[in-house]
Amino acid sequence: MVMVVSETAMSRPHFKVRKSTRRAVLIWSFLAPSILIFFLYRILPLGWNVLLSFQAWSPLKPAVFIGLENYREMFFDDEVFWQALWNTLGIIGSAPIGIAIALGLALLVNSDIRGRDIYRTLIFLSYPLMTVAVAIIWRWMFDERVGLINYVARMLDLVDKPIPFLNSFTWALPSVIAANIWQMLGFYMIIILTGLQNIPGNLYEAAAIDGANAFRRFLRITLPLLKPSIFLCFVIGMLNSVTSFDLVYVMTAGGPGHATEILVTYIYKLGFTQTRFDYAAAVTVVFFLLLLGVTWTANRLSGGNAGAVEID
Amino acid sequence: MKKYPRWPIHLALLAASFVMLVPFYWVLKTSVSGENIFSYPPNIIPRDPNPFYYVDVWYAIPFARFFLNSVIVSVMTIAANVVLNAMAGYSLTQSFRGKSVVLMLLLSCMMIPFQTTIIPAYLITGKLGLLDSYLGLALPLFSTIICIFVFKASFDAVPRSLIDAAKIDGLSEWKIIWKVMMPLATSAMATNVILSFIWSWNNFMWPLIATRSADMQTLPLGLARFMSYQEDSTGALYAFCIMVLAPGILLFLLAQREFVQGLTSGAAKG
Amino acid sequence: MNNEDFSAPKWKRLLLNRFVLVPAVLILLTVGWNLWVVTHDHGIVEGQVLDATGAPVEGAEVKLWVFNFTTFVVKATTTSRPDGSFEFANNPSHNIQVSAEKPGKGRSARVAIRLYFASEDFVLKDPLRLTDGT
Repeated sequence: MVMVVSETAMSRPHFKVRKSTRRAVLIWSFLAPSILIFFLYRILPLGWNVLLSFQAWSPLKPAVFIGLENYREMFFDDEVFWQALWNTLGIIGSAPIGIAIALGLALLVNSDIRGRDIYRTLIFLSYPLMTVAVAIIWRWMFDERVGLINYVARMLDLVDKPIPFLNSFTWALPSVIAANIWQMLGFYMIIILTGLQNIPGNLYEAAAIDGANAFRRFLRITLPLLKPSIFLCFVIGMLNSVTSFDLVYVMTAGGPGHATEILVTYIYKLGFTQTRFDYAAAVTVVFFLLLLGVTWTANRLSGGNAGAVEID
Repeated sequence: MKKYPRWPIHLALLAASFVMLVPFYWVLKTSVSGENIFSYPPNIIPRDPNPFYYVDVWYAIPFARFFLNSVIVSVMTIAANVVLNAMAGYSLTQSFRGKSVVLMLLLSCMMIPFQTTIIPAYLITGKLGLLDSYLGLALPLFSTIICIFVFKASFDAVPRSLIDAAKIDGLSEWKIIWKVMMPLATSAMATNVILSFIWSWNNFMWPLIATRSADMQTLPLGLARFMSYQEDSTGALYAFCIMVLAPGILLFLLAQREFVQGLTSGAAKG
Repeated sequence: MNNEDFSAPKWKRLLLNRFVLVPAVLILLTVGWNLWVVTHDHGIVEGQVLDATGAPVEGAEVKLWVFNFTTFVVKATTTSRPDGSFEFANNPSHNIQVSAEKPGKGRSARVAIRLYFASEDFVLKDPLRLTDGT
C-alpha cells in the first residue's frame, strides 16, 4: 500500500506539470496572433512616433537626433498647427449639440407610439454608411451653385446671394460640423435609447404617485440615470469627430486655406504630401496627448468610470 | 399613465426623419435626372427620369473592380477577426500567469486610435512588403480589442457546469471551444462580423495610405478619387455615389437588429 | 431569435431566412441580367430614314456617332436601303447618336440613343426625318 501510494504520488505531479504547461502554451498561442497585430500596428507605431519626433529624418538618409527641435518648430513657428489645434478643439466642443438633439430624439422615439422602429431605422440610417459618401453628399448639399441648402435659404428669402459655404472662412468649419452631427445623430440616439430603456419604469410611477410632474421626473430620474449613456456618447463623439479624417479630407481637404484643417488631416499632409515623417510624428505625439487629456478630463467630469465602455 | 396627444410626437419625428433622408433623396433624384445641376430653381420631383447615368458610370469608372477589392479585403478582415478574437477572448476567460498584464496591455491599446499610428504603420507595412496588396490593406484590422472583450463576455456567460461536464467527458480544449462555447456565442459572433465589416468596408484613410496603384483601390477610395478628377457637373457622379451607398444600405436594412446590437455592445471604438 | 416558424421543416426555414433569400434573389437577378445582355449585345442599330413628306429615302448617308470622352465622333457610316431602312452592325458603345443626310433631301437632326449596356441591339422607334435647312 505504501508503494502504491508513492507510485501514484510520483506519477500525479509529473502529469500535472505537463498538463498545465501544455495549457499555458495553448492559451498563449491563442493570444499570440492578436497581440502580434496590436504590437505591430498600435504599440510599435506609438513608440516609433515618439522616437521619430525627436529626430530629423529624410527617408534616404540616416536619422539624426535633434532633441526638441521639432516641437520648437511646432509650437513657435507653425501657424497651421495652431489653426488645426483650434479647429480640433472647436469640433470637440460641438459634440454636445449633437448629443442634445439626440437626447430629444431618443425621448420621442422611446414614447409609446406606433412605428417607432421605423423612425429609429430612418434616423439611424446615416451612421453605418461610408463617411466618404456622407462627405460627398454634404459637399453637394452645401455647394454654392447646385446645393440644396442655398436653394432653401434663397427660397425662404434668408439671403440674397448664395453663400459659398465650403469656400468661406467663416462657414466652412460649421458646415463640416453640421455634416458630422448629421451622421452621428442616429448613433447617439441609439445609445441614449438603450440607456432609457434600462431605466426601470416603476421609478417613474413611484414619482408620479408622489406628485412629480413630467418635467421634474425628467430632471430627477431620467437625466441622472442617463449620465453613463450621455458620457459614453460624449467620449465616442469626441473621439470620432477629432479623428474624422474622412469627412474633412473629402469635404474640404482642409478648407479654404486651413480653415477646416484638423490635426489628423495636417498629420496626413505633413507625412504623405510633404514627406516630413519626423515632424508629422511630433504632431502625432501632441495629438495623442491631446486625446488622452480630453478623455481623462471627460472621465473625471463624469465622476469616475461612468464614461467607460459598457459591455452588456 | 396619463394620456397625451400623439400627433406632436409624430410630427417632430417625421421632421427629424425628413432631415435625415433629404440628402439621400436629393442625390438619388439628381442621379436619375441630372437636372438640378443646370437648371435653377431645381425641381423637387425629377423630370424625365432615366437610368442612363448609371450605365455611364458602369463604363466610365471601374466600379466592379473597386467593389471586388472592397469585398475581398472585407472578407479577409471578417474571417481573421472572428478567428483571432474568439481565440483571444477564450484565453482571457482562463486564468493564467500574466493575465493582468495582458489585460492592461489590451485596455491601453484601446486608447491608441488608428489615426495616431498612420506613419509608422505605413513604414512597417512597407518593410513587410505588403503595400498595395490585399493582405496589407486588411492586416491592421485583423483583430480589435472591443471584439475580443465581446467574445470574452459571451464566453464568460457560458455556465461553468457545462464546461465542467465537457471536461469530465474528456473533451480537449479545442473541442470544448468548438462544440460548447462557440454555439452559445452566436450573438458575439454576429456582433463581431458586423463591426469588422463596417470598419473595413468604410475604411478610407488606410487604403488611401497603403495603396499605390489605381486598381487596388477600395470603394471609398475610388469614390473620393473620382470626385476629385471630374467636376461635379454630371449626373454620373451622383449615380456613382448611389451605387457605392447601395450595398451598405441594403446590408443595414437586412441586418438592422444585429447592427444596432453590435454597435451598442461594441460602442467605444472611435 | 428571428420570427421563424419553428414548425416548418428545416430546409424551408433555411430558405426563407432573409440572409439566404435576399442574396439568392440578387444572384438570380444578376445571372438573369447577364444572360439577357449576352444574348442581345451584337451591336445592331436599326432604323429608318424618311423625308419631310414621310416617304422612305433610299441612298441617304447615315452616320453613327460614338461618345469619345468629351465629344461624339463618327464611327461608321452606311447607306439606307430602298425602303429607307438602315442597319449598323458593330456598335461598341452605350452612348451613341445617329444622323442621316441626303443631298437634295436635306438632313436629319442628330438623334441621341442611350443604351442600357454597350452594344445593345436597338431599333429606332421614330424614323429619322430629313428636312431642308438647319
